[in-house]
Amino acid sequence: MTTTTTLHPLAADYLDRVDRAARRLPRTERRELVEEISAHLHEATSLDMPDAEALTVLDRLGDPEDIVEAQQPDEPGGRRGVHEWAAIFLLLLGGFIFAFGWIAGVILLWSSRAWNTRDKLIGTLIVPGGLATAFVVALLTGTKRKCTSGPGHPTICTPGPGTAHQIIAIGLFGLCVIGPIFTSLYLARRAR
Amino acid sequence: MVAIGDGVISQLRRGVLEFCVLALLRDDERYGFEIVRALSQADGLVTTEGTLYPLLARLRKEGVVETTWRESTSGPPRRYYRLTPAGRSLLTAFTGEWVRFRDSVDGLLETGALK
Repeated sequence: MTTTTTLHPLAADYLDRVDRAARRLPRTERRELVEEISAHLHEATSLDMPDAEALTVLDRLGDPEDIVEAQQPDEPGGRRGVHEWAAIFLLLLGGFIFAFGWIAGVILLWSSRAWNTRDKLIGTLIVPGGLATAFVVALLTGTKRKCTSGPGHPTICTPGPGTAHQIIAIGLFGLCVIGPIFTSLYLARRAR
Repeated sequence: MVAIGDGVISQLRRGVLEFCVLALLRDDERYGFEIVRALSQADGLVTTEGTLYPLLARLRKEGVVETTWRESTSGPPRRYYRLTPAGRSLLTAFTGEWVRFRDSVDGLLETGALK
């Protein structure tokens, strides 16, 4: 942030801490909160102020965590509750319920206040469909090699995919398993 | 001696603080820092100034105050807060209730009986 360069170093450091603590807020709320605290610091401190005076100003403002906490009142849906657990569950496994389950998970994810936009993007994009996508990948890549046999002629196998293809398929499958699991753990940890 | 729990006082404070903000804006618009400093000068009302900014944001979200940016002579533009008509009627309603509440509690505390 460019304005911090005109702040007392202790005040600039404090503003950074507010900004970091506010990461869990929705983007607009975070920006406005940081703007207000920044304005307060610009009014109440100056570059050449003794450290002790600057510290008094910061003490009166309070702990950045407490400020961000005050921004998030205990309202239903604002914290990890049934809504959030249902979203995580459906994003992971909802794909097996005709894919609609996963879409319901996305809707729950975006309607919750427990996550910020970045969390929601990660929840949606890693991996669309959740674990069901891994299942589909396994089906699609696993049926390439076909063998036919019949009376009177030996078993004929059509050539399977090359080694390179197999490695890519296994890698893709691995990503489709690890991705959704990682995302579930991430969302569970980030929700608040 | 029995100490008053911190919880009681902080709940009281939390309950009335938003109306103190509205009262400060009754006659004039003010910018955030002005509101915060005015409130923290009142004895025992505010413990951490920083938490007033989330309160201001909430009041705006509830539609009882609105904001405009104005140029400042001594620095960057300031966000000014003022009451909306909804905020004004909320303040009037609270003022009436508060007077009744305060008189009853005062009467009980002073005489141990209802007036």
